[in-house]
This record gives sequence, structure tokens and C-alpha cells, in this order.
Amino acid sequence: MLELFITFVKIGLFSFGGGYAILAMIQQEVVSHHNWLTQGEFTDIVAISQMTPGPIAINAATFIGYKTYGIPGSLICTFGVILPSLVLMLVLTLTYLKLRKRPWFQNIFKNLRLLSLGLIGAALILIGKGAFPDLWSVGVFAICLLVSWRWKTNPVYVLMGAAVLGMVLG
Amino acid sequence: MCSLISIFTTFLKIGAFTIGGAYAMIPLIRREVCQRRGWMDDLEFMDGIAAAQSCPGPIAINLSIYVGYHLRKGKGMAVAVLGTVIPSLISIIVIAALFTRYAEAEPVRRAFRALKPAVVALIALPMIEMGRKAGLKLSNCWFPAAVLLLVGLADVSPVYIILLTIAFSVWTSLRKRSL
Repeated sequence: MLELFITFVKIGLFSFGGGYAILAMIQQEVVSHHNWLTQGEFTDIVAISQMTPGPIAINAATFIGYKTYGIPGSLICTFGVILPSLVLMLVLTLTYLKLRKRPWFQNIFKNLRLLSLGLIGAALILIGKGAFPDLWSVGVFAICLLVSWRWKTNPVYVLMGAAVLGMVLG
Repeated sequence: MCSLISIFTTFLKIGAFTIGGAYAMIPLIRREVCQRRGWMDDLEFMDGIAAAQSCPGPIAINLSIYVGYHLRKGKGMAVAVLGTVIPSLISIIVIAALFTRYAEAEPVRRAFRALKPAVVALIALPMIEMGRKAGLKLSNCWFPAAVLLLVGLADVSPVYIILLTIAFSVWTSLRKRSL
């Protein structure tokens, strides 16, 4: 179980770029290296992680932990994968709070904000790639866009509405 | 000011509706933390997105740590992370224990066929306003456009672009001697 924990700490520490980068890293460690899961089981886990609420990486870690050591395993994997974040992101946040009045530091974030816009756009492409197989999904997209733009509806209600609409009419 | 309980319940809600990755959190956090409760302004939040992407680990968790710490230091950070993680833990354990064929169930597939375009719409909408606040102009829009193409289509890892941007920003500051 310690090995499982250390593996997930490693995954958290070396995966840059969020969900999909982490999934690739998990595959390498859990399937190819340690043989805790078969490739088929891993593919199932990826599908389930994407179709369940919550961050994909946390979902995958919880699932793999549960498959190997039950509920304690899922807690250990989840804690392992967020432990490096807790340390590094805390340091980063403290640095930000300390230095954000300095002109050179503001200059960095001025540029990073523009970069963020590009990354959000890239995420839109990645999520959007599989999201529009037919006219129905384009319709859902248009309705959600209109509703949240026109009435500033809470995104939570938009998502619940879309899920119900999909189940009833999809 | 915000209580730990309200941070926790806010992030519980955010965690439960983060569907398909950390970017789906952006409209949720912006709505709950910036607009509805006014705990943080848009620029601080965008800096958080930038920082969360520059740090290893799940972006959703990094962003919760940033927002939680901003609101109530270490305790705020702890409850924000717990709130984000708990919906995942519960739903995945239930699925893993009872219903491994979950992703193939017809109602779930139907719901997700509608949820995916909904998430795209929700992420796309705030981009215009965020662009305005980030100081997006005709003269600098080539930069986010290039990032979008490199990461979204050419599959370049964001880490290199982030490191280059930081290095370039420090270099221009040094040149202007505005340290």
C-alpha cells in the first residue's frame, strides 16, 4: 500500500498540464510499470472518470485505489496525487501574495493572463472535439449559450438542465 | 467575510459539477466566488488560473488551493480541497463498488451527450469578458491565438510555453530596469 501511495505522489509531482497529462502518467505507472490494472480496466476507468462529477485525475486515482485496496486504497491514492499540489501550490500562492505589488512580477502575470486565455481556448478545442457528433448536440450548445448569456443563469442549473434534457430527449 | 462552512459548501457544489476536467470549474468558481459572493476579483482569479496551470498536479486541485488560501489561509485551503474532492470520492466509490458498467448505461450516455456541449458553452461564454479584463487588444491577440493553436492543435505541452513566457516577461522588465 505504501508503494501505491508513493506511486501516486510521483504521478502528482510529475504531471504538468492537468487531467489528460495525468491520465497518461497513470497509465504508464499503474498499467505498464506495476501491472496493478490491465489496459482494458484502465480504458474503463478513463471513461468512468470523464463521465463522473469531479476532477478527472481525482476520479481516476480514487477508482484505482478502490480496485486495489478498497476504500483505504482510494483515500491513499487521492491524498497521494494531491499531496505535491498542496505543497507546491501553497508555495506558489504565498509567493504571489508576497510579490504581486512588484512591477516585474505584475508583468509576468499580465502575460500569463493572456496565455491563460489561449489555454482555455485550447481546452475548448479538446473538449469540443468529441462534443458535437450531431445537430442535437449543437442545439444543446446553442440553448445553453443563449440561456446563460441572456439570463445569467447559474452554471449549475444549466448543467442540471442539460443532463435532464439529454436523458429525456437525447 | 466568508466562513469556513460557506467555503466548504461552495467548493462541494463546484466539485460536484466539475464535469470533464478542470476548465469546467472556471465558470462555476467565477460565478460562486467572484460574482455571487464577491470574495475575489476577476483579475485575481485569472492569476490563479495561470498559477494553477504552471504548477504540477491536477489543475482543479491547484485552483482550489489558490482560492481557498486567498479566502481563509491554511484552513480555507483545506476545506476548499476537501470540498472539491469529496463528491469525486463518494461517486467513484459507489460506482466502483456497485456499478462498474456505469459509463455504458444508456441514461448516463444520454446525459453526457448533452453535458459535453453544455460545458463547452459554459467555458466559452466568460472568455469575452475575461479577455477584456486581461487587457486583450488587437495588438496582443496574436499571443493567446498562438497558444491556442500550439496547445489545442499541435499538442505542445503548456509547460514550455509558460516557462518561456515567464522568462520573456522577466527579461523585458530587466531591459526596462523597472525592477
